[in-house]
Amino acid sequence: MNAKQQLKEGVITNNPVLVQQIGLCATMAISTSLFNGIGMGLSVLIILTCCNVVISLIRKIIPEQVRLAIFVVVIAGFVTIVDLLLQAFVPALSESLGVFIPLIVVNCIIIGRAEAFSSKQSVGASFRDGVFQGLGYTVVLVCMCLIRELLGSGTIGGGLFNGVDSFLTLDGTGAGFQIFPDTYAAGAMILPVGGFLTLGILMALLQYILRKSAEKKARKEKEGEE
Amino acid sequence: MLASLVSISLGAILVNNFIFSQFLGLCPFLGVSNKMSTATGMSVGVIFVMTMASAICWIINEYLLIPLGLEFMQTVAYILVIAVLVQFVEMFLKKAIPSLYSAMGIFLPLITTNCAVLGVVLLNTQNYYNFLESVVYGFTGGLGFTLAIVLFSSVRERLEFADYPKAFEGFAICLVAAALFALAFMGFSGMKIL
Amino acid sequence: MSKIRDFLKPGATLLAVAVVAALVLGLVNMLTAGRIEAIALETTTEAMQAVLPADSYTDLEVEDDGEINSVYAAAGGGWVVEVTESGSQGTITMMVGVDASLTCTGISVTDSSETAGLGAVASQASEKGEAFRAQFVGVSGTVSVSKEGGEIDALSGATITSRAVCKGVTAALEYCANLG
Repeated sequence: MNAKQQLKEGVITNNPVLVQQIGLCATMAISTSLFNGIGMGLSVLIILTCCNVVISLIRKIIPEQVRLAIFVVVIAGFVTIVDLLLQAFVPALSESLGVFIPLIVVNCIIIGRAEAFSSKQSVGASFRDGVFQGLGYTVVLVCMCLIRELLGSGTIGGGLFNGVDSFLTLDGTGAGFQIFPDTYAAGAMILPVGGFLTLGILMALLQYILRKSAEKKARKEKEGEE
Repeated sequence: MLASLVSISLGAILVNNFIFSQFLGLCPFLGVSNKMSTATGMSVGVIFVMTMASAICWIINEYLLIPLGLEFMQTVAYILVIAVLVQFVEMFLKKAIPSLYSAMGIFLPLITTNCAVLGVVLLNTQNYYNFLESVVYGFTGGLGFTLAIVLFSSVRERLEFADYPKAFEGFAICLVAAALFALAFMGFSGMKIL
Repeated sequence: MSKIRDFLKPGATLLAVAVVAALVLGLVNMLTAGRIEAIALETTTEAMQAVLPADSYTDLEVEDDGEINSVYAAAGGGWVVEVTESGSQGTITMMVGVDASLTCTGISVTDSSETAGLGAVASQASEKGEAFRAQFVGVSGTVSVSKEGGEIDALSGATITSRAVCKGVTAALEYCANLG
């Protein structure tokens, strides 16, 4: 499997959130500001890549019967490491993601990739798989954040940029760029309702695009036959 | 004391419903809510595991991890407890109540990766709940999960006859329906026992 | 014999993986524990400085009654009280500065799980958040939102959060009044 194909699969055709429809909990819960979205996306990307590599390295010595338990220990280990590092170096992010950092342990994306991919493939391929699937996850998160934040509080880049002097801030306190006054914003988009709605619509959108492109391909093939 | 337990229960079932306001346990929520019967089967398992896990993890945290200064191992210890617990329940049911096992069997392994279960245990620790509060939170959290999934499964049975754009097939339309549920559950926010 | 070996190998592998994981975690914990503790201390001191500046604070070690968590006596007179109230989503923890004449000198929300964009504004460093918190400077007695005839304008869309903060400030003022 080559890298380009893996990239396309991870981000579009086999996107973990929109197509495989796993790892939804955190996607909806924390996608309220760009700061959270990027932070969570990168955390998952790093954990997924590390787990993929380690599991691929030890895949030959993992006994079949206890493989799930071993995956869980490896994943929980990396999650705790990232959790501790965030607490020590990016406390604002750790504060704002709260319980969703340790919950990455049960994020189906990671255990799913371990079971379906890295326990069977070479280290290199598993590494790429981790990066690209993580990237696919991050892209969806960022989209969700941008949409919900803009509609819900009229800002872009909340937590990440300081709206007043537009400097990059890493303490999560920046208010972001105010695109329109927040009195006109639909606050519900930031609430759980908005999370369900946005993800539902994004999912439908991707399904629509994939179906259109499949139809187009089928038509082309048909024309080619004639 | 009683007031705090009632307020925890009320919070877990309605105000901060695990699914509609805390986004925990969405994968099984969408995965098994297509039929009322499977939804109830899953719920029973979740209530049981959540209550047991709350109790066991509290004991482990209080009498093992904290005295040894191993709080950083919480996540690892909790997930192992849950995995072992689920395995144990599976073996027990297989031997003792085979009929229930055959009805529930396939959902049991799914409970391990249900983030509502790990979530409830982590939240117990985070909120400094005592033993009783933890168990009550676990049990009522499971009840809240049940309420959400059973209500939603009846809506999904209706969705099959609904006429919606083709692009929304599958989980997409379910999420939109769930959004309306979340909106309804927002009405509970702020409700509390004084 | 072969049956035992069937059990032994998976068990041993699992154990080995768990031991390695525990060792690595222990190491990471050792490296980060100091920093995490320092950050927690710094956040507390910063919050106290923001509500009632003083050279030092002494922990009065009061008993946690579920509302008042801790009370610190500031070196220059007055107290900083840490209060927890239940908000709309979960609990809200705040620091309330109270001077010797039992007037609130300022508040800062240290921990909350309020709705982002609405109740969460109460804890943010944004203009709106600052304005909301600034209203509490100089209040005394029973504090309530303007809807209930009080002096605090509630955050838009977050009456429950605003009420909880008012309740916390009231509780802190009351506690200090009893302290003398």
